[in-house]
Amino acid sequence: MQPDEPFVTCPLCGQTHAAPFLKPGQRASCVRCGSLLAEAGHLGPQAPLVFACTGLVLAVPALLLPFVTLSKFGKERTVLLTDGFLGFWTHGFAPFGAAVLIAGTIAPFGLLGLLAALYVLGKRNPAPALLPRLRHWAHQVEYWAMPEVQILGVLVAFFKLGSVVNVTIGPGLYCYGGSSLFTLMAWRSFKLRPRERRPFRAAAVATS
Amino acid sequence: MNIWAPRASASTTQSAALAVAAVVMLVPAYTLPVMHLGILGQHSADTTIFSGVVQLWQQGLGGLAAIVFTASFLVPLLKLLGLAWLLLAANREKFRRRRPRLLTRIYGAVDFIGRWSMLDVFLVAFLCGAVQFGQLASVQPRPGVAAFGAVVLLTMLATHRFDPRLLWVDVPATPRTT
Ligand SMILES: [Zn+2]
Repeated sequence: MQPDEPFVTCPLCGQTHAAPFLKPGQRASCVRCGSLLAEAGHLGPQAPLVFACTGLVLAVPALLLPFVTLSKFGKERTVLLTDGFLGFWTHGFAPFGAAVLIAGTIAPFGLLGLLAALYVLGKRNPAPALLPRLRHWAHQVEYWAMPEVQILGVLVAFFKLGSVVNVTIGPGLYCYGGSSLFTLMAWRSFKLRPRERRPFRAAAVATS
Repeated sequence: MNIWAPRASASTTQSAALAVAAVVMLVPAYTLPVMHLGILGQHSADTTIFSGVVQLWQQGLGGLAAIVFTASFLVPLLKLLGLAWLLLAANREKFRRRRPRLLTRIYGAVDFIGRWSMLDVFLVAFLCGAVQFGQLASVQPRPGVAAFGAVVLLTMLATHRFDPRLLWVDVPATPRTT
């Protein structure tokens, strides 16, 4: 794996390193604090793009197909991925509906799009000026993307509802699970520099 | 030297302010109901985070009760304790001396576990969106979920604002290395 910048600064301790050349499976850790700086996957160099595109393809049925189907008193109700957001939004909890939509839908799928774009743009020579900003956004978006937590929440709801209504898991949930898995794999395999922080001014103000 | 007038840094000040706000929001989050479940002729009650865990336990879903308890009680509390320690260490030399690696690991752990407390917010949101059978059966959100959601978002913002490089200011950096 060839580094795309000459230096890597550890986001946790600020130590600067010459960017490492990694063979498949190798990891580079910070000499000062020991945190992981970079990792080269065993899979080919195109693996991140394949993972990101597969995740994006699965995002479409995850959005459109039923997540779960509930039935009670002879009535049936199909629930979609975005119904959690609507559940809050329509009951006067709009900001929290937005938080659910961002963390469970927009950020995970947006991250896949960003990773695919980063991969494609990163291959261009010279690298587009937009690239560092996209990298920064990818780190920011990843922090708020929580598809795995949403899946766990839905599964807990599934068992909780089991005693009250009849619940069937739909194909949308499987696709969402698959998309989430590919998001994780794309993120892990992507040759992304660590999160960058602003220049550090340690002792801005000293008091006595 | 006034020990409560430490090095001012935008990072620690903002992080501390967000963490204090999260501590304040813990009270309504744990005491107010998070949702109301109504089923015609069977059941109609408000649920708090704690009673939700108890209900799962009573349904025989002990494993899930443990997961929800961990995500909703242990994670926010451990996270706030960890943040308090990190903020103290960032401001007071005696709290970080000889332990920057340990403190950096604590920061990593606090950063990693934070998102899992969103579990209850996703759970309530999903139930509110899913169980809508008109008069027959419905779930509605209650103010407790807003307070709990605020705790989760505030603690995540507090961790995000914290700059772990503050834990390393006493340790000289190694010359640029490979
Ligand atoms: Zn480091």
